[in-house]
Parts: sequence; C-alpha cells; structure tokens
Amino acid sequence: MLRRALQVVARCGQQGALLRAPRILPGLNPASAFGSSTDSLVSRFCPEKTDLKDYALPNASWCPDMLSLYQEFLEKTKSGGWIKLPSFKSNRDHIQGLKLPSGLAVASDKGDWRIFTRCIPVEGQGYEYAIFFHPSEKKSVCLFQPGPYLEGAPGFAHGGSLAAMMDETFSKTAYLAGEGLFTLSLNIRFKNLIPVGSLAVLNVVVEKIEDQKLYISCVTQSRDQQTVYAKSSGKEVPSLSPRPCPATTHPQDKQVRGSGPPLGSSSFRNGVGHLLEAQVKCRRSQLGFLSTCELPNPYCTDSIQVTSNLEPNAHSEHPLKLLPPQSQP
Amino acid sequence: MLRSCAAPLRSLGALRGPRGGACPPLCEPRPALRSFSSEKVIYKDFSIPNPSWSKDLRLLFDQFMKKCEDGSWKCLPLYKHGSLQRIQDFKTFFHDPKFTKEDVMTQTRLFTSSFEEGLGFEHAMFYNDVEKRTVCLFQGGLYLEGMPGFLHGGAIATMIDSTLGMSALIAGGIVMTANLNINFKRPIPLCSVVVINSQVDKVEGRKIFVSGNVQSADEKTLHSEATGLFIQLDPDKSLT
Repeated sequence: MLRRALQVVARCGQQGALLRAPRILPGLNPASAFGSSTDSLVSRFCPEKTDLKDYALPNASWCPDMLSLYQEFLEKTKSGGWIKLPSFKSNRDHIQGLKLPSGLAVASDKGDWRIFTRCIPVEGQGYEYAIFFHPSEKKSVCLFQPGPYLEGAPGFAHGGSLAAMMDETFSKTAYLAGEGLFTLSLNIRFKNLIPVGSLAVLNVVVEKIEDQKLYISCVTQSRDQQTVYAKSSGKEVPSLSPRPCPATTHPQDKQVRGSGPPLGSSSFRNGVGHLLEAQVKCRRSQLGFLSTCELPNPYCTDSIQVTSNLEPNAHSEHPLKLLPPQSQP
Repeated sequence: MLRSCAAPLRSLGALRGPRGGACPPLCEPRPALRSFSSEKVIYKDFSIPNPSWSKDLRLLFDQFMKKCEDGSWKCLPLYKHGSLQRIQDFKTFFHDPKFTKEDVMTQTRLFTSSFEEGLGFEHAMFYNDVEKRTVCLFQGGLYLEGMPGFLHGGAIATMIDSTLGMSALIAGGIVMTANLNINFKRPIPLCSVVVINSQVDKVEGRKIFVSGNVQSADEKTLHSEATGLFIQLDPDKSLT
C-alpha cells in the first residue's frame, strides 16, 4: 500500500518537474517561500516502512458508502494524481523532525497523547476517516463517518466533531501544500445535520497562498452531493523556525542570544525542520502564534528579517527575501 | 413548545443554585443522579470535580461555586447523554422513529462527555442570569492533542460550540449551530485550564447571535475569539 503510494509520489515528482511554473496558486511558489516542495513533504509524510498503525484503513464499522468511495479513490491512487495519507495515533508520529521550541514541554511523559481525531480507539464509535491528497492540484478529499460517541443532537454528529474533522483535514492539506501547521482561523456555515454512522465527504481546496498564510476552503456533502452539510474556510500558517529565536529586542523575552548550537550555513533542509541561518526576529502578527506568557517566547519581536548570510538550498528556487512589515492579521 | 424546552433547563438550574450554597457538592444527595430501571442507564452529572482536575481548575470551580451562593450564578449540569429530557425535547423534531429508539440512545454519548476521566473534555459551565453570560471552565486532556503539546483546533472549536450553544439555548430554547467563526490567537497548551466566556449579542426572530472568547485561567492571555449564529428550531419543520 505505502510502496504504491510512494510510486505515485515519484511519478508526481516527475510530472511536477515539468510543471514547475506557478499555475493554480498565484503569489507563491512553495519551494521558494518555505524551502520545501510539496513532493518532498509528501514523501516525508508517507513513510515507506513504519511500525505505526495506520488508522485510515477500512474496518467492519465502515458503512457501504464509505467502503465503496474509499475503493474508488484507492483506484485513483494507482493511476496517479491521488495519494492516500496515513493516519497515526498521534501527530508526533506524523511530523518527525519537528522540534518545538524548548520550554513548550508536554504535560505528561507517559506517551499516551492522541491526536484528537483518533481519540476514540474503539472501531466505529468515534471518528472513522481517510484523507486522500492530490499534490499537483493541492486539494484533498476526506471520507468521514461520525460514530455514536460523537453525538450532539440525538442521532446526529456534534457540530464540534465536524469542525475538528475540517480542522484536521485543513491542517494536513496545508502542511503538504505549503508547510502550514497552525490554524489561524476557522469559519464554518452549518447547513444540515450529519446522521451518526453515515458518510460525509469533505472536499478541501487550497484557494491561495499569500503572505505565508494558506487559505483553504471546504464543502462537506453527502456522497451523492444532494445534501450539503456545511461549508467552511480557514487560514493556516507554517511554522517557520522550530528553533528558539536568538536575542533580541523584546524585553519580556527570556530567550538569550546563542542558546542552542550556532546555525550553520548549510542548514537549509527539506521538510518542516529547516533552519534559518543568521538572526531571525519573528513577527507576532505574521505568525499569529505565541506561546503563553509563562513560557519563554521564541518568537520575539515584530518583523521577520533574515540577514545577509543566507544561502539558499538546492531545492529552493529563490533566496529567501526580506519580508515586508505586516499589519496585525 | 420552546417555552417547555426552556422550562426543564430552568428547573435544573434551580436545583443547582441552593446546592452550591448549602454544602460542598459531594456531601449532599445529588438530585441530578437518576437511575431509569427500564433503560438501565445512569445519567451522571459530569461537572463534579474528579481526580483528574488540576489545581487551577478546582480553584476556579470553587470560586464560581462560591458565586452561586447568592443566586446570581448557576452551575449548569452536564450529562453523558445530554439528559433524557433533552432527547424528549428533540423528539418532536424527528419524524423518523429510527432516531428515538432506545437502543440508539443507550449506545450514543454526548461528544463532550464521552471520554474517560482526565483524558478528554474536563469542563464545568456556569451561567449568570443578570449579565446573561455563560462561562465554561475547560481543561483539555491528552486525547485532545493537535500539534505536539497543544490542544487540537477542533477540540477548541467543540468547546466553543458547546459554550456558545449553551448561551443560545438558555436564551432561545432548542437551537442548532448555523455559523461558527473562530480566530485562533495563541495555541492552548495541553492540560492547561482555560475560561471560555460567552454571551448573547442580539436576537432577531429565530436567529441568536452569540460571541465569546477563550482566555487563560489568569486572564492574561487571549487564546481565541469566536462568534456564532444559532437558529431556534421550528417545531413545524422536521430536522431531516
């Protein structure tokens, strides 16, 4: 299964090389902005060999609609274009190599965290879903079947469970399309209730990537598209630098210059764990994300500026440019 | 119809008021526990402090329970099934008998109460009748993770939906979420305690506009802001 997915990825990579000119998404070439192409992100995301259990596989609780639509998409992965994303118990298993700034330690070291959408392990009781991603068109389809433990109104799925499914699909799509990781905003218009145990299909599209924000939209409908369950949109931002921000000007900041090893000149890398050389000052408003007040804030001041010692890596097409000052989103 | 929906909520609220003032919750016989022998289901009140609650959460809970003593605040009971009364209220909106079968009821769980102690949504809700404000104290457990170390955006969305929805429910009876808009400002660390405030901004016919925010326990950090639109259900129309 995964080997097949990788073959598809390789084929996509070849096709991608021919179609490198920006087409669908104005304003961004992901490779230049974040240092990683979609193909490389996909190949990191879909490991060739893993001991981890993939939860996005059919089981006895799947309704016939979900099974048959899953098979349809599985066929599409063979002919190229689509990729089935694995779904592990925790995001930590997915995003390997991502180091969060020190100080943002987890509450428990017992290792029993679960990603919210895999929180109910009993087959069929919680979230049953599988996500298929189309790298070149930067869109996804999520097949979602809410179980009885996700109930809100009697017999129907809780609005929050659908919101979580949307957020999760947005997050994975944004990551593969442009290293988006954190949700800035979520806007959902609920139209109809989803009966517990029935299939809802989420069609997710990256509309545009602008100012390091990925704008994503989604329509959730029944399989025959006769019933629209909800329409939603969201904004995701990437994590630019996992390392603590050295120095500087923010008086509250407890980070000191020089914490951690010096950043080397050859430190542009693929994937989320890429490092920026030289001094990086982070803009609060651009990232839209801060640690809480008690913890050292790795993203200190107001503008992302990369000074001149930068060397682009082999995968980026343009050197990282100085980002212009941004107003509060 | 809708008046009769609001009435059970008010009576539940009335049960809660004196309880908080008379003695600590655990010492008093709990009117919220019922055993329906015909269905063999126990509707447990889920907002009793349990061992998984952190010190912060307990402190805040006690503060709010104290506020309940003079009657201005009420602690809202939370049920695993969302109460038999709630299901009865919904029955009139369903014309499909499939949704009111007993076995469906016993298999299902209200999403926000379907986790083991400490692993999911540990929360308690309070309502102030004068300010018309609903407050939810929320501690997200290990099963609600998104990015490592932080709460999943969807888990936050679920609690915001529940809290804003409770405000709307108190104002307008049985409601459904029509729109939900959330701006995430800062991620919420896993297992930390946050306070979700919510109030009704205006009511236009069957539309109820609610807004709210999510703050850290010490009110120093604004984690999210949200607005929502809820629609009162029309008893003449079916849900399906």
